[in-house]
Amino acid sequence: MQDLPPPAGHPEDAPERDHSLLARLIMACGKPFSLIYVFIMAILIYEVFLRYVFKLPTLWVHETSTFLSAVAFLIGGLYCVASNKHIRIVILYDAVNARVRRWLDVFIYGVCAASTLFFSYASWLSAKRAIFTPGGQFRLETSGTAWNPPYPSILKLLMVATLLIMSAQFLILMIRTLRKKEGDDV
Amino acid sequence: MFDLQSLGIEYGTVVMLVMLLGLLVTGMPLAFVTLLVAFIFALGWFGPASVPLITSRIYTFVSSFVFVSVPMFVMMASVLDRSGIARDLFDAMRLIGGRIRGGVAVQTIFVAVVLAAMSGIIGGEIVLLGLLALPQMLRLGYDRRLAIGVVCAGGSLGTMIPPSIVLIIYGLTANVSIGDLFTAAFVPGFLLAGMYVAYVLIRAWMDPSVAPALAPEDIPTGEKARLLKGLIFPMLIVVMVLGSIYGGIASVTEASAVGVLGVILSTVVRGEFTWQMLRAAAVQTMETCGMIVWIGVGASALVGVFNLMGGVTFVSNLITGVSDNPTVVILVMMVILFVLGMFLDWVGIALLTMPIFVPIVTDLGYSPVWFGVVFSLSMQVSYLTPPFGPAAFYLKSVTPDISLGEIFRSMVPFIVLQIVALAFLIAFPGIAVH
Repeated sequence: MQDLPPPAGHPEDAPERDHSLLARLIMACGKPFSLIYVFIMAILIYEVFLRYVFKLPTLWVHETSTFLSAVAFLIGGLYCVASNKHIRIVILYDAVNARVRRWLDVFIYGVCAASTLFFSYASWLSAKRAIFTPGGQFRLETSGTAWNPPYPSILKLLMVATLLIMSAQFLILMIRTLRKKEGDDV
Repeated sequence: MFDLQSLGIEYGTVVMLVMLLGLLVTGMPLAFVTLLVAFIFALGWFGPASVPLITSRIYTFVSSFVFVSVPMFVMMASVLDRSGIARDLFDAMRLIGGRIRGGVAVQTIFVAVVLAAMSGIIGGEIVLLGLLALPQMLRLGYDRRLAIGVVCAGGSLGTMIPPSIVLIIYGLTANVSIGDLFTAAFVPGFLLAGMYVAYVLIRAWMDPSVAPALAPEDIPTGEKARLLKGLIFPMLIVVMVLGSIYGGIASVTEASAVGVLGVILSTVVRGEFTWQMLRAAAVQTMETCGMIVWIGVGASALVGVFNLMGGVTFVSNLITGVSDNPTVVILVMMVILFVLGMFLDWVGIALLTMPIFVPIVTDLGYSPVWFGVVFSLSMQVSYLTPPFGPAAFYLKSVTPDISLGEIFRSMVPFIVLQIVALAFLIAFPGIAVH
């Protein structure tokens, strides 16, 4: 519903802090992916057009738009981590002094890194089943529809990758905060 | 690892809640708080074997066709924000507001309704109205609080008036037809807008100083025609989007794509279109959806674990055990939603509570569609209510010289009106016609 970041404070949060190399990389590589949404719009309209004008509904639009938007959702989450746009409650965070806030940052980043790392392992478990048969042979899980694209397996692999990069990003943030001298971040 | 199961479901639920809130107040992002708590309970309660269940929930959550409409409606709003469509709409509505007392405030509410019917995004609307309508009302000598309240309350109508993203997310979690939800929200949404208009008119009538009448001015016919042009695009877009949904021509997702195309074409015709603008709108869409979806990912993981623990059954027994009177049960739910609204984002609330609430509501004999409308209205209340009422922060971001305290105080009468509407909706479920 909101297209600005902050329900909990900070209209102009996310100050242009010195982003790490990884964060800058994520943001630079992530931006072009947002055009996926323009593409989705185009193919959805194409589908409506074909259906009504030529009575020729397509097989692929439905699945492709769902798949692509899931891809963009995952990358969008990564982008929000890199740009610090995820929704959080900052009432206490804003009230404490810089020293406490530094340790709070270390804690938050550390915990986030741990949970994303765990979930990348968890999603790897299901991704593994999507790309290998129980016998250990390589085969991509497909959606099982008439068109039958291998979207599920690609998406599951992408989820693992996203979570891994996220945890790397959180780790980097944590280490940077630890290295920073006290009082630097005021 | 430690064995959480020995806590029993009662203490388990309490520990989960405390952990959730405790982590939230440290300033940890909501999406990752829920993921972490889900992770702790999955491991501590069931052991590693339960983990794939959670990931499969996440997978199902991100890959649903209806969900594709969310980025579409978000993109519609972000293109709209970057165009002059809203400004022209506001100018055109001057013809409707006219010279009646409180006319500009009424005009603002009308604009808010049209904007809500175009996109269903809240933050942007409040910002737009804060930039367009608020300065004009203040310049004309309107009561500050009335003007601020109208902007925030009007700008929040997007949660209810179709196409609303709140209703879409509700429909996804509750497995209810989005089309039905949109139909059902129609009357209550307009009822609420009507109550705002009535409130403004009554205030202006009782105390003329709060809303000074405009000096009579004659708008030449040519000028009128020019102003009316500002109405054409918004109306066309509303008709295209809602018409194709209500008319059954296209699915909600397809209609949302048509809406995006409509807004983009309008900017082309108006000569405002640039690739730069489209790219910026797309990036903003990706950010917003990244936020919404990851909150959803965390929340659906958490609910999955909680459900396995037997928590959903436990909480629903707790709620239904409160009273035999269905209305009381619904009211208890409202209180829970209200309290959660102080800490969590609406996406999180929808995904965490609806799997518990909707079955209860259905068992009580109410329609889940009606409850969707109730939910969207109660989220609208929490959108305005302190301490975290996001509406206030959005307005504050464009009006730095108005204090948050004043914004919250200005919203009080409108919050009361919302609660009255909510009570009305609960007392007479029939007004959510579908």
